[in-house]
Amino acid sequence: MTSKRRIQAIAVVVLLLVFPAVSFAQVPVREEQLIYSILAFNGRDYAGTFTTKQAEAMYLKADVDNFLTVRKTLVYFWPITQDWKTDTSALNVPFEGRLLLVGPDGKDRALESTPYTYYNVRGEYELNWKVAKGPEADQAWGQYQEIMNAYWASVQQYYQERAAYEAMLSELTSTITRLRDEGRDVSRLIEVLRELKAPPEPQYPRDYVVPPAQVSEAFILNLPVGEYSLRFETLEGELMQGSEIRVVVFEKRRAEGVGLEVIPGDKWTRPVESKTPASVLYVDGSADLYLRPFFQQEYNDLYYEKMRQNDARGNPNLMKWVRIQQVPQAGIEISGPGRATQVVREAPFYVEQVKGAALGYQIVPFDPEGAHKDREASLRAFHVPLTAGDRVVRLQVQDKDGQILRSGGRQIRVVRPSRAGILSLILAVLPLVAMAVVLLRRSRVYTS
Amino acid sequence: MIQTRELTKQYGRFTAVDGVNLNIAAGEIYGFLGPNGAGKTSTIMMLLGVVKPTRGEISLFGERYSPGRLDLRRRIGVVPEKHPLGMWTWMTAAEYLQTFADLFGLKNAGPRIDHLLERVGLAEVRNKRFSEFSRGMLQKLSIVRALLHDPDILFLDEPISGLDPFGVKQIRDLILEENRDGRTIFISSHILSEMEKICHRVAIIFGGRLMAEDAMKSLLSTLAKDREIHVDLESIPEGLTERIKGLPFVLEATQTENKLLVKVPKSGDYRKELSKHLIDQNLVPLSIQEKSLSLEEAFVTITQENIDLFARIGGKA
Amino acid sequence: MNERMNATSVLARRRIYETFISPGFYIAMSLGLVLAYLLVSGFVRAVDSSGLAFGLNPLYDLIGRSLEGAFGRTLVEKLFAEGPFVFALYIGFLPMLLYLAVSSVFRFGLEKKIGALELLAYGPADGTAGFLAAFLKDLLLTVIYLAVLLVFFAVTAALNNLLLGPTFFFTLVILLFVAAAVYSYGVFASTLTDNSASAVALFLGLMVFFLIILMGSFTIVSGYVRNLSTVFAWVVKWISPLFYWNLAMQAVEIQGWLLYAVSLVVLLVLGAVVLAASHFILKARGVRP
Repeated sequence: MTSKRRIQAIAVVVLLLVFPAVSFAQVPVREEQLIYSILAFNGRDYAGTFTTKQAEAMYLKADVDNFLTVRKTLVYFWPITQDWKTDTSALNVPFEGRLLLVGPDGKDRALESTPYTYYNVRGEYELNWKVAKGPEADQAWGQYQEIMNAYWASVQQYYQERAAYEAMLSELTSTITRLRDEGRDVSRLIEVLRELKAPPEPQYPRDYVVPPAQVSEAFILNLPVGEYSLRFETLEGELMQGSEIRVVVFEKRRAEGVGLEVIPGDKWTRPVESKTPASVLYVDGSADLYLRPFFQQEYNDLYYEKMRQNDARGNPNLMKWVRIQQVPQAGIEISGPGRATQVVREAPFYVEQVKGAALGYQIVPFDPEGAHKDREASLRAFHVPLTAGDRVVRLQVQDKDGQILRSGGRQIRVVRPSRAGILSLILAVLPLVAMAVVLLRRSRVYTS
Repeated sequence: MIQTRELTKQYGRFTAVDGVNLNIAAGEIYGFLGPNGAGKTSTIMMLLGVVKPTRGEISLFGERYSPGRLDLRRRIGVVPEKHPLGMWTWMTAAEYLQTFADLFGLKNAGPRIDHLLERVGLAEVRNKRFSEFSRGMLQKLSIVRALLHDPDILFLDEPISGLDPFGVKQIRDLILEENRDGRTIFISSHILSEMEKICHRVAIIFGGRLMAEDAMKSLLSTLAKDREIHVDLESIPEGLTERIKGLPFVLEATQTENKLLVKVPKSGDYRKELSKHLIDQNLVPLSIQEKSLSLEEAFVTITQENIDLFARIGGKA
Repeated sequence: MNERMNATSVLARRRIYETFISPGFYIAMSLGLVLAYLLVSGFVRAVDSSGLAFGLNPLYDLIGRSLEGAFGRTLVEKLFAEGPFVFALYIGFLPMLLYLAVSSVFRFGLEKKIGALELLAYGPADGTAGFLAAFLKDLLLTVIYLAVLLVFFAVTAALNNLLLGPTFFFTLVILLFVAAAVYSYGVFASTLTDNSASAVALFLGLMVFFLIILMGSFTIVSGYVRNLSTVFAWVVKWISPLFYWNLAMQAVEIQGWLLYAVSLVVLLVLGAVVLAASHFILKARGVRP
């Protein structure tokens, strides 16, 4: 083949390869679809998902308020994250009507949309989600607005007072300087300066951990366990085509689980979770551990994943533990060979950059009065120190009264590759040696 | 010892064995003959309890016998036609025999194994893998295995096929010896000359049906249509054969070289008359012998007659 | 019955001895132990400051990706919750299970074909004694091998400061019962077919079928494949040893000891029923080649 022809052939091949790549690089196709937009409670918080037209069912937790709206929007598949997304900025047409529900008992139910809002007042140490419906929703929202308005008003006030303070400070300082230069007595003015206090900055309201959302309208589904079929009926009384869908309402299997968030001292931004009861934490012992116990509940893997994201994959035959909330005021009893048994409590820690040219950081106890004044703690956790000599450390999570929490027991085992491991390999090939011996002995029977 | 009554085996529409009635007495050597496809194997398999009869009964040692009667099988020893090759190839001959000794529940079988191996000439190869044995050696080993538990009946299927003459004699002598010790022997074989030498009674099966069952001599005598007298002479003068034919008791006369073959009626012994006639002719017979029907001839006779019968009635031959 | 028991005992002892002088047994054992060793040593090398990090070891990276891709993260977490030993036990046991099961199926088919069963049937034995002997041999050798695995893992755990957790021991027991049911299906395949190759093909086909049904119900792939396997699973599961294995493992997870015990009993019953079916099939078909 001549070099010209070779170049042409290569060019054709490249084009053939590039062309499909170019097509893949095009903007994903957006399709107008009727979707159910779902705000579902997952045991810990509310998370939103939606159903595409390919969805076989929607999944909801039983006996809690879940919020559903029906709308038309553009739906597309985003290959980078491998999931379906909506483009509500381009198209977002909510529908008004009724939801028709048929339950396992065969009875029909019709649901009207209801104004609602939801909020959380206590945070991750104690779940306290509240849902306000109807007039209560407006009330809750109004209350929140008042708190926030008061706060913003106090912020305004603060800025004004701050400005006045700054002005007075500047005035006093310059007057003191001028008078001192003139050789006059400025002690009284200095005293005034000392007594001058900056106005306190208003505190952001801590009434809510998650403040109420603006009141919206949605269908509120609070259903017992079972399978339902759902359809949407417009205001004109017509069943909307393509709105039929199955609703799977499920419940937790076990609720008394205790899991541990494990934060290694050398990778504090990459914690892992130990959820399986009686599981073992195998570590290499190169860093201390910072633990955070939490309560967990057990759900069907598939159902839970699809509740959080309708197009997710899950295993229908497995149950998984789901983190719900931190164990409040817990203690962790630490014991083990060569260790005195002790109970550690949660403490704040600060992550300090290692000084000098070396990269890295270290986790130290938080000192709000000293080194870490005017800063916030990096994390709050239970410190479990590990030394090179540790082999086994036993952990037992306790509640605030010192009672052992069932399924809150774990073991930490420090493992490191060692030469002694080769003994296992020798054991593994020992049967072949036995084989040789046996065959040799057997051959002697034939020759005897 | 063994009796069957209307023993029948059907495979679908095909009747392999049709109403066979056998009677095997204790202490006899019983020959079971039949061409291929006659139903021999099916009959034997039913007698051994390996195959369940479609109809009929088998009585063994006076008891009703069926495939489930594993206890009665302790009294049977079986030497099949072919030893399964590829079975327990790792075993020595001694180990193989010990296995069967254990199966039959024999305690301290070692001396008996040694004795039997000695008897058949396999003592020196007791620790050799029997998968390396020749056909003859395997056959002998099979017999030893069948005799281990001192059975009342020994079933032998083609015990001498594939053996050399010396092996044949060894097996024959062994069978006769066992029979003298009181063991009942049931033999199935194609080698009719051997069967004729050793069997007390024979049964002939053809087309699934029992054609004949009788003591050897009685069977041969019954089946023989006539007798044949063989006369050895120094020479046969011209016209002698014709003159012999003219004798009133002679049915047929032929000559081959210096031998006269004279057929006479089955009843009566005409050797004396014939001898007298030859002496009158100044001829001295060197020998006068009566040749009886051989088993092979009897077998062919029976089966050929049945083939003809089948052909006449349109059945399968 | 006594005759059959005696015959079974004699033949079983011979088969056990035969296995002990066969290279295949030791090779299967070594293979299983070496695979187990690789999994344990790989695990030790995949541990960092916070726990198991699959990416640290190539073998575990492959295992993690494969299992997670097929069955989801939850299964992977549960499988390695107590350490490497549950997974290593499955993988280490597999070569011996296959060796014993397939060799017995092959052997029974061969013996039937060459007339060895018939020869035995001339004596105070029958085909049922033949296959019971094979079954007992496989069961006993399985117990021995599981004991070997236990010792091996105990030594390995001690050397590496790993823990043999309760799930491991429960799994060990379950494997014995599952193996018994698997062997009974091997016998079943042998009695249904006329030769070794067909028997092995039928047996392996059955096992793969059961496996596909189980894996199909576990996979996180949605749609037609899982829907189809769900329909099959509902019908087939009652006769699948793997279904009861799964049930027993779920019982261990929720510490439902009654369910665990029931699963084991049902596995025994399943094996017994399949063996009984084999007896009747063999009785009807006979032992003649």
